Amino acid sequence: MADEVPRSWRDPDLLIKALPTVLLQTTCFLAPLVMTFLLTFQRSRNFQLQWSWDLWTWTDVFSKPHYWTILGHTIFMAAATVAICLIIAFPIAYGLATRFKAWENEIKVLITFAFITDATLKIYGWALFLDKNGMANYALSSIGLPPEMVAFLYTDWATLLGMVYSLSAFAIFTLYLSISNIDRSLILAAYDAGAGKFRAHWEVTLPLCKPGIWAGSVLIFLLSVGAFLEPKVLGGGKSPMSAELIRQTFETRVNWPLGAALTLVLMVVSVFIVLLFSRLIGLKRAGLAA
Amino acid sequence: MTAILDIQDVRKSYGSYAALKGVSLSVNQGEFIALVGPSGCGKTTLLKQIAGFEEPDTGRIAIAGADMAGVPAAKRPTSMVFQKLALFPHMTVAENIGFPLKLRRTDTAEIKKRVGQMIELMQLKGEYLTRYPRQLSGGEQQRVALARSMVSAPKLLLLDEPLSALDVKLKKVLQAELKRLHRSVGVTFVHVTHDLEEAMMLADRICVMRDGAILQLGTPADIYYRPAGSFVSGFIGETNLLPITISERTSSGLIYQAADIVDTDGRIAADLVAGKVAKGPALLMLRPELLRVLPPGETADGAIAAEVTEMFGKGGTVQYRARTPGGQMLVVEIPGTSSLPMRIGDKVRLGFTKKDIYVFGVEA
Amino acid sequence: MTKSWYSDLPQYYQRQIKAAGLDEAGLTRRRLLKGMAATAGVAMAGLSSRPSQAASQMTYMCWEGYNDPRIIDPFRKANDVEIAFDLIVDSPGGFAKLQAGASREVDLVSSDMPWITRLGPAGLAQELNPADYADVYATFYDQFKPPFEPLLNEGKTIGVATRWGWVGPCVNTDLTKPEIWKSYDPVFDDANKGKICVMDWGDWPILPMALHAGIDPYQELDQNALEETRKVLRAMFKNTRTLVADLTQAQKGLLDGSLLGCIGAGSYLTSAVRKQGHKNIIAVVPEPKNGLKQGIIWVEATAILKDTDQPELAQKLLKHVVSKESGHVLSLLDSTCNVVTNKAVEALYTPEERDILQADYMWTAWDNSQMHRIAPNIDDMLAIWQEELAAAQ
Repeated sequence: MADEVPRSWRDPDLLIKALPTVLLQTTCFLAPLVMTFLLTFQRSRNFQLQWSWDLWTWTDVFSKPHYWTILGHTIFMAAATVAICLIIAFPIAYGLATRFKAWENEIKVLITFAFITDATLKIYGWALFLDKNGMANYALSSIGLPPEMVAFLYTDWATLLGMVYSLSAFAIFTLYLSISNIDRSLILAAYDAGAGKFRAHWEVTLPLCKPGIWAGSVLIFLLSVGAFLEPKVLGGGKSPMSAELIRQTFETRVNWPLGAALTLVLMVVSVFIVLLFSRLIGLKRAGLAA
Repeated sequence: MTAILDIQDVRKSYGSYAALKGVSLSVNQGEFIALVGPSGCGKTTLLKQIAGFEEPDTGRIAIAGADMAGVPAAKRPTSMVFQKLALFPHMTVAENIGFPLKLRRTDTAEIKKRVGQMIELMQLKGEYLTRYPRQLSGGEQQRVALARSMVSAPKLLLLDEPLSALDVKLKKVLQAELKRLHRSVGVTFVHVTHDLEEAMMLADRICVMRDGAILQLGTPADIYYRPAGSFVSGFIGETNLLPITISERTSSGLIYQAADIVDTDGRIAADLVAGKVAKGPALLMLRPELLRVLPPGETADGAIAAEVTEMFGKGGTVQYRARTPGGQMLVVEIPGTSSLPMRIGDKVRLGFTKKDIYVFGVEA
Repeated sequence: MTKSWYSDLPQYYQRQIKAAGLDEAGLTRRRLLKGMAATAGVAMAGLSSRPSQAASQMTYMCWEGYNDPRIIDPFRKANDVEIAFDLIVDSPGGFAKLQAGASREVDLVSSDMPWITRLGPAGLAQELNPADYADVYATFYDQFKPPFEPLLNEGKTIGVATRWGWVGPCVNTDLTKPEIWKSYDPVFDDANKGKICVMDWGDWPILPMALHAGIDPYQELDQNALEETRKVLRAMFKNTRTLVADLTQAQKGLLDGSLLGCIGAGSYLTSAVRKQGHKNIIAVVPEPKNGLKQGIIWVEATAILKDTDQPELAQKLLKHVVSKESGHVLSLLDSTCNVVTNKAVEALYTPEERDILQADYMWTAWDNSQMHRIAPNIDDMLAIWQEELAAAQ
């Protein structure tokens, strides 16, 4: 905009106005981060923190491959969760925004309820349902199917199921908002231009949903990266993800420097992936960024 | 001339609401036809049936002789310019215009060429090609929308009030543009508008609709001077409707009486009477500009005595309101340079020529 | 029994639901645990700043159970004192918290004995004069009377032992015989692939596995010994169905037969199910292997913090916690049942309660067990655990 006057940091008025925000950001966000960073240069001996100021922790982080194995596994699981959530959420959100407009509010209330129910409860419920002698197998065998057909509890599949179940609502909501904001005449225009239903989806609906897809993906990705309950309860803890590794490091190993370093690694890698993808899908180019 | 579009008794209901109550219409190749009417008259609904966004409940729509029943919008040789333009915000101008061609698997070089032609035809600047729609002005967006609709060389161009959101000045420019475009490409235009004046300017024929039915289909002159009834006559400009009583109706014309009118013979020829008019009460239409002030002693085919009550200057013309002894209000418009100016309170005689009047029945 | 959401389901599922802690009592317990752990800090601050009706206030850091109203309420009334709780969810965490400054707030702490003893060198605990506690020790089992070596720091007594139990295989006798578990061999048996449950409780599953490998984890370990530990853990993960941090989840698995045995727990895990009537669930201790005792005895102890501003009350509360009445309550909680150090409590047990606690077995278990202390190389072993777990994927 032409009427936007470039403002200098030497402008005392601006400084005063920005001060509260700057202070808040510094104390609530930056300071803990700096402290976490400083912590990584210490050591832990016999469950006690020692102010050693050396690179022992970072050496450990970069010399032990298993931290990275777990991180890779975490990123993979998070990416899979994002993909599955989007695939599941798109038709639901599309239906909500178009076909089932009449029951829109009822469905939204239901999803919200499913959303706010205690996550622990839901995950334990799934464990109970999927167990060898759980309700799923009980139901299947009672209609004459062989016993123990549902046998994927305590595998990565069960973890994935739990994460998708817990997080898909985020995708449904963000996609729903995106789809319901699309002008109906744009879809008609695509039909009119000669596009079939599928083509109109691909060329118009989907690109216009980009902000929703993106918002949902980032939310789900970051929440998945931090998931610990699902891999523990449904995955049987055998295939831990980063959050569990960090918890173990802080709580059972009482190794705060190492825990801090692992946390920073996870943060940096997650943020890097998010930035990389935002560049790749080119939100800026299409000018669709919110 | 062959009919490019043939609509036979099309009906469409939404639940209990009947949006189209049996519409039939035939449009000739290369014609510019306007569908006019107040909102809710069914004009947009009719357009949707033609475009194929909806299927009529009953009736038949044929385009270039082919029945369109069951043919989806994508497969119809029609193209629509939407009221809100519906330009794809995530595509550049070039991508927008080329979109219908891309869907038809046209090769890239050909698309580029045709898009270039369209840009030229629409008098858009070449540098706009890489811009996004929201970076263009309203009028430029309009041209892009037209270009996108024309690029695939449709047999029928359907325009759904595309000018309604523009300011008056821009509207005038684009109206002229549409007219030029129509002449230069020779495509059949079906233009929906609620603005009869716009329709008058643009269309070869006008189809006036109301409550899901066609009231009148005719040339702009027909609609203006030979309206099918008081609704059509009142839809554009101002008009004087004087109640008359028809005492005799024959094939050659009619004989009538009217309280305020001094007529030389009391007869009106058949070609000045709407078809359905029978004996009994009817309305006589006189456009304000066809009334003139009679100097003392001069006679006309008909004359009405009245007293001037108000006057408004309108630049080139002056408009007067005058009351007859019977209490009927009349609108008179005479050139500002008239040799017989009137003042408020003047008692005058207003004369008219027989060929300028039109008679139609009283509508329920 | 009152009607609940699951009371129309088949009996089998009702048992499962209760075992998984999804019944009302279980949920209340779980929510309480979670809520209190999460808001412990806030609650502490809130409680200490709240204008209290009571004459004095104390903060008690303890495992869930020590805060049972049947234990605390009589003490509170008798001494006109308000008690705030800081519940421990894991012992090292509790220790770390005290070290990080909570020791200024907390007056009394009941935790795992090694961590209580460790308060000594950390300079956080008040040293006790055994003579002051002669009345308490009088009714103790001889094994816990002073000088009780594990609670000594440089010859000074740091705390008083309260509750104890043993770590060994937890099994369902309907599915397996206790005789088979005279060693940890079944853990590595190919036939038991996907049937072994490992408690995700830090060092608890590691130590018995080290013992099985012929390594005494309570000694300083060399690289060879650590490599042996790595091998035994790797072998264990091969047969592991699941790692479990939640007690009820392991209990449910044992009950419904989806888990053959649980490693890393013991009487602490089995007793609550036994109390519910499932006497087929037992915790045994394997026999010594090549002269190395395979079981582990855990003890909980209570200590007074140096910085307490209520030394008399703290001492009173400590004595109250190990009293006959409190001991009886403490040994038979809903969530877990364990024997206590006060011999006088034994007189209060009904035969049924003795059976729940496997009281007739406790000294057999004691005789075949190591006394749990902090393993010198525990951090190395935990790191190995993490590595092997990541590799087991």
